[in-house]
Amino acid sequence: MSINIGYFASESLLNFRRNWVMSLGAVITIYLSLLLVGVFLATGVIVNSVVKSVENKVSIQIFLKDGVQTNDVDTLQQSLLADPLVGRVQYTSKDQALQKFKQDMKQSPEIIQQLEGNPLPASLDVTLKDPRQVETMVAKIKASPLFKKVADRPDNPEQSLKYGQQVVKKLFAFTQVVRWIEVAFVIMLAAVSLIFINNTIRLAIYARRKEIGIMRLVGASNWFIRTPFLLEGVMQALIGAAFAILTIALLEAAIVPRLGETLPFLPVNMTSTATAQIGLVLVLAGVFIGLLGSGFALRRYLKV
Amino acid sequence: MTDLNQTPVNPASLAPEVPGPLPRTGPAMISMRGVSKYYLADKPALRDVNVEIGSGEFVFIVGHSGSGKSTFIRLLLRELMPTQGQIIVAGQDLAKMKNWKVPYLRRNIGCVFQDFKLLPNKTGFENVAFALEVIGKSKHVIRTQVPEVLRLVGLEDKIDSYPDELSGGEQQRVSIARAFVNRPPLLLCDEPTGNLDPQTSLGIMKLLERINKTGTTVLVATHDRDMVDNMRRRVIALDSGRIVRDQDRGVYGYVD
Repeated sequence: MSINIGYFASESLLNFRRNWVMSLGAVITIYLSLLLVGVFLATGVIVNSVVKSVENKVSIQIFLKDGVQTNDVDTLQQSLLADPLVGRVQYTSKDQALQKFKQDMKQSPEIIQQLEGNPLPASLDVTLKDPRQVETMVAKIKASPLFKKVADRPDNPEQSLKYGQQVVKKLFAFTQVVRWIEVAFVIMLAAVSLIFINNTIRLAIYARRKEIGIMRLVGASNWFIRTPFLLEGVMQALIGAAFAILTIALLEAAIVPRLGETLPFLPVNMTSTATAQIGLVLVLAGVFIGLLGSGFALRRYLKV
Repeated sequence: MTDLNQTPVNPASLAPEVPGPLPRTGPAMISMRGVSKYYLADKPALRDVNVEIGSGEFVFIVGHSGSGKSTFIRLLLRELMPTQGQIIVAGQDLAKMKNWKVPYLRRNIGCVFQDFKLLPNKTGFENVAFALEVIGKSKHVIRTQVPEVLRLVGLEDKIDSYPDELSGGEQQRVSIARAFVNRPPLLLCDEPTGNLDPQTSLGIMKLLERINKTGTTVLVATHDRDMVDNMRRRVIALDSGRIVRDQDRGVYGYVD
């Protein structure tokens, strides 16, 4: 038997037109479900980027004694860099520290004017590969004899190290929770949309069970019966996914810049790669769900 | 499969009807041996049925509701599998048949039902064409065969009417056209006149007779007494799932 691709294409288009209420229902369901999943994924990407940038701001500042030996500082820097936990170590001189302070305090010139000389210490900024390891690293530094030698206040090492002790712990607990919530919601939404879409397609097929019965009676092969339904499911899924992607792109264009304006200290942005990935995920999920839903729903009507 | 579609027209069945032994030439179209079908363990729908129906025969299956007529038909279509026994239709053993081959079996069996089973959103032409489309026939074949078969059933002027615009008898003619358009060697009819008045029923029976004369084996399950008595064809009577009578030129024959 020759497989007539033209027949399948025209048949699924025709069914789409004839049962357009059902098809529209399926398209809307797929669209809304995928939109929810997509919006959540996009939110996840944004939240993730914010969380990451906040986490990356966690660094350890070592304040140095005035007039400390350059050798000792270099040695400390080298030994820190040799540590597997450490990503980057940056030296800030007294002058640079003052410059930065002036820059930060631009809004209140009276404070800058009151400064006599340069009270700010030089410092080493230690950035970690994994910000979560900050406590371990702090302990290591404290134990180092070199640190005691160059530290601003060797008698009280706590004062010579700055890493936002309490904040760090809370921050990490919070970001962890945010990530789990994200994952849980995406899984829940995916499950809900699968059930919804499966149901809608089931209804569409139920509405046409008579037609399927007659097809079987006159000897249409099962694949022949199935193919237009599967194509229809895929078509509905693709249309739904296209609308969902369009909506997400529009939302993104409308919301993300404004979010950046209102929260200038948070780096809210979406890379186009992330958007494309979300789009791809939605299309694949839609097609998968469309095929699976139609296939499952058809099974009971194709029993010989 | 295709060789069955080209079963040569039985010359004997085309001859003008003369009294005498009915033509029972050709190989067996249907052969049932020791067939039983149980839906429930204790009460069989069919019990040890043995029957041979030759190619080109016209056979009535009669009996009350629940006597097993529909089960008989559905077994032949392989909608059901027998609990016991062997069924051979058009040379193929249904019990041994693979599921994926069933559609090809059904292309050799036309089916007519009491409730017509037409698609309401397709015209008469489209309903008949549908049967050809779904077995992958070309547009050309459809364009030539569908009008021809609609002419055969006497509906050439109603081909663009929808089923709800047709009378019951006309709808049944469309459904017969659909069953016969592929020229199957076997036509099964389950109560084809069950919903029709006697006058219309007679027309349908004449049509089935005409189809039978082209060499097609026709099997009619019915409880239409007048019909069976008028036609004087082979009658197989079922009662509680058992064949109680099988006679040539029979009558309905129950006094109830």
